[in-house]
Amino acid sequence: MAEETMQQPPAANPNEPSANAKKYAWTVPPAKTAILSHRVERVDGPAKVSGAARYTYDINRPGMLWARAIRSPHPHAKIVEIDFSAAKQAPGVRGVLAWKDPGAEVMYQGDVVAAVAADSEDHARDAARLVKITYETLPFSVREASSKDPATPKIFATGNTRPGQATDVGDVAAAFKSAAHVYEATYDTQVITHVCLETHGAVCEWTGDKLTAWVTTQGVHGVRQQLAAALKIPEANVRVICEYMGGGFGSKIAADASVVIPARLALVTGAPVKMMFDRKEEHLDTGNRPSAFSKVRAGVSADGKCVAFEAETWGTGGAGQGAQFPLPYIYQFANRKRAHLDVYINAGNQRPMRAPGHPQGCFATEVLMDELADLVKMDPLEFRLKNLPPTAPDAMWGEYFKIGAKKFGWDKRRATGEGGKGHLRTGMGVSACQWGGGGRAGNAHVDILPDGSVVVKVGTQDIGTGARTVVGIVAADTLGVPLSTVKAQIGDTDLPFAGASGGSTTTAGISPAIRIAAGRAKEALLARLAPSLGGDASKLEIVNGRVQVKGGGKSLTWKAACKLLGQEPISIDNAWEPGLSSVNTSGVQFAEVTVDTETGIVKVDRVLAIQDCGLVIDTLTAESQVYGGVISSINFALFEDRLLDRRTGQMVNPNMEHYLLASIADVPKVEVMLMNMPERGVIGIGEPPTVPTASAIANAVRNATGATLRSLPLHPHRVLAALEAHKAGRKA
Amino acid sequence: MKAFAYVSPTTAKDAIAALKAGGIVRPLAGGQDLLARLKDYVETADTLVNVKQALDATVTPAGGGLKIGAAVTLDALSTNPHVIRMYPALAEAAAKVGSPQIRHQGTVGGNLNQRPRCWYFRQEEFVCFKKGGNRCFSVDGENQHHAIFGNDGPSKIVHSSSLAVPAVAYGARFVVAGPNGEREIPAAEYFTLPTMQNVKKENVLGDDELLTHVILPAPGHIRSGHYEVRFKESRDWPMAFATVVVTMNGANVASARVVLGAVAPTPWRSEAAERALVGKPLTQATAEAAAAAAVEGAKPMSQNAYKIQITKTAVVRAILEAAGKRA
Repeated sequence: MAEETMQQPPAANPNEPSANAKKYAWTVPPAKTAILSHRVERVDGPAKVSGAARYTYDINRPGMLWARAIRSPHPHAKIVEIDFSAAKQAPGVRGVLAWKDPGAEVMYQGDVVAAVAADSEDHARDAARLVKITYETLPFSVREASSKDPATPKIFATGNTRPGQATDVGDVAAAFKSAAHVYEATYDTQVITHVCLETHGAVCEWTGDKLTAWVTTQGVHGVRQQLAAALKIPEANVRVICEYMGGGFGSKIAADASVVIPARLALVTGAPVKMMFDRKEEHLDTGNRPSAFSKVRAGVSADGKCVAFEAETWGTGGAGQGAQFPLPYIYQFANRKRAHLDVYINAGNQRPMRAPGHPQGCFATEVLMDELADLVKMDPLEFRLKNLPPTAPDAMWGEYFKIGAKKFGWDKRRATGEGGKGHLRTGMGVSACQWGGGGRAGNAHVDILPDGSVVVKVGTQDIGTGARTVVGIVAADTLGVPLSTVKAQIGDTDLPFAGASGGSTTTAGISPAIRIAAGRAKEALLARLAPSLGGDASKLEIVNGRVQVKGGGKSLTWKAACKLLGQEPISIDNAWEPGLSSVNTSGVQFAEVTVDTETGIVKVDRVLAIQDCGLVIDTLTAESQVYGGVISSINFALFEDRLLDRRTGQMVNPNMEHYLLASIADVPKVEVMLMNMPERGVIGIGEPPTVPTASAIANAVRNATGATLRSLPLHPHRVLAALEAHKAGRKA
Repeated sequence: MKAFAYVSPTTAKDAIAALKAGGIVRPLAGGQDLLARLKDYVETADTLVNVKQALDATVTPAGGGLKIGAAVTLDALSTNPHVIRMYPALAEAAAKVGSPQIRHQGTVGGNLNQRPRCWYFRQEEFVCFKKGGNRCFSVDGENQHHAIFGNDGPSKIVHSSSLAVPAVAYGARFVVAGPNGEREIPAAEYFTLPTMQNVKKENVLGDDELLTHVILPAPGHIRSGHYEVRFKESRDWPMAFATVVVTMNGANVASARVVLGAVAPTPWRSEAAERALVGKPLTQATAEAAAAAAVEGAKPMSQNAYKIQITKTAVVRAILEAAGKRA
């Protein structure tokens, strides 16, 4: 993560528009659009709620076997021997596979060692238990503090820590000298896991030397490439399909063991093989958001200007992965210095999780901002306004703070610590976010068929954002036909290449290609129809599925018009081109909470999210992204916590019983204000709304009670301890 | 899950006979606990005896009180008008269990006899005292949910039944049927603190016995209150809770039962809290004094001292509810 890009958002739209982008520029609000930027329901909603949609978990093939992984129970050990003899004799077993060889080390509980395939899921599970693996256990660390401790023996080949990139901007020492107030505090956030409702997995089937893999993935094309490399076969021989997926959040980008194991076992057994992880495997070995610790020193001038920032930060991304995060976040400290340390522990490795790094950096910065505002006796919102980067199309925080304050009733916010008299205290908090988004990897193919069908093929996939609906809307809006006319095909490597759905890049990556391809298809259609409609294609238009001469005259229904194509359809391909999409978004959120000071329980009462993402394609699905992001962040704030047993190194809560997630009743009223900026083109909205909620909640708890929560999650034990410390006049 | 034989007797007598099938035999009612234990290899069984047909699934008036069949579902219990009127704390406890799905499937007998939810017990890898091992992993492990009372024994679990606490507070008796006929056990004597001898169980029920009924005595002029401190609104376990049952003599408390839940290996009766209530009016000050008495002698482990404050709150709020003053 390039730190400087966090500090200085680039220009609003860096993309010089291509000729096609100019020619097929968006028709955007306030101009009248048929469906673009309207509230359009998901085209596949009925299939999803009725169960007709087939997820990877629903794929079953004739003669299919089930695979099951055998995983290390130890946080760190050397594999001495793998004995498959008993497993091979077990009922229904058809194949076994060593994923690691004797002599290799397992680095965390849940590290895959081997796998078996059997004729049923139960047989596979039973047989897996019969694989006898002998380990030589080795020293381990499951706490950041012990890995940082020089006295801890070297556990990882590259050392237990690795220094990250250091920052040093301006004259920090002088700035601290000049500061009216200098403040020090340490902030930390916990490791949480992705908890995809559909667990990781795949169904793999060979036909001769060709492999078809149904994979629950965020990137069908990337998985094809990686799977082919892992199996040492041509990419041309691999087809990856993902029609529907039950969540990825960043954890389903690569072809991991859940894909390669069934592919290999399918090869050795000569039968299709299905492998779906269970919830425990999901928590242990499919990624997580790294922890983040920030020991901060900050200086502020008497008139409330942030002048100096110095931080020592660390965090763990597991057994060898980094834990970078942006800091300070958004707000401008002219002089700043930071040193970061990646700390390794014997636990599952991190994978990108929705806005990687941002929620962590946001938490440390936003809670600090409230503490600094108190030092200079300013309203936290006024203090923020004073320290924001200059307003720009991609840096709208100042405007949004003002709009939000009015909408949320910020003027009713009481002074910190004066949130009521009884045991129920209420308070408000605020926080900001930013994200890049954008995306360039998208190709589209548009067919207009003689019977009036429109088929749009894009090799993207729907991570849950409504990609199929977006494809349909862009094509239908461009062609001038109803959405129901368009059949959007996605989720298959047989379709034109599109990038992985990560980093809020999908919609901005695919929409320009669809817009231009559909625009060119429309032009080609009108050219073919012109002889039948007065001879001049430039005088024709398509409105609500009717092809007509502009200003009145001859007209044809869509069906009748397409029939004139005879046997040769219109068939157009186009790639992404610059000018119809952009990068960089900004947003702010407000939260109101009630704290029960006798139990330490925090209830979130309401959240207001103000978010932009350039041109909104579908208001309904864009808002849905914000709802989902806010709910995820409430989980981060209050509930989720991957807990490792200090003595055995094993996770104590690898389930959905003790790993807490909000239930429906725990979700507050969430209001979304989408700031449509059609002039910027399409950007993407998946990541930013999940960044600021947790910080706004922590600040609201502080406002309600006077107690500062510098550590997540806000479990009652932490809140009670902070209340106690506040009462005693101590810093928690 | 290990394959097992499955029998489905239709009478309690046949069900009890079936428990003697040999090997490890377990009764299956709603299955909300047992099936998860089997699937997770927390334990294995050779035979499951389906007792859903064999056991009573009705709530019937008995001697001015109620006789509740062990096969009554939690949902049926929580919505039964007699239970709501006569034993509101029991109805409330049942209504808050898990989720609608669990309450429609889970039974009274299953809830009272469920095994600990301790995160070490629930994972095959942790061979603790309760699974024939030689340690309780919570002692030097992650013990934020573990016992603050009654934790001198080998296992530091908290009892997980929500119904057990009001059952003890209301002075319920449990009817247990075995090969030699029936016996009645006061609820307070049914649950056992762990010793090295009995650590694999949480109660006195024999492997060849079934809990068939819960008998609730005539309520008389009791008042009761129940408060569960819950972090999440549903699908979660209470962090600590309390049921308070009192009789009044004019404005003052004549007798009191204060029972705490999720703080000890059994429902935890606090006689100190009861003494603090008797002879006093049901005021905020009395409630706070009783709550302070209730947590006297608590022995928190390394990470669960916060439960003392939470338990105090539960006691205060349960008392105020009994007084008709909802917190």
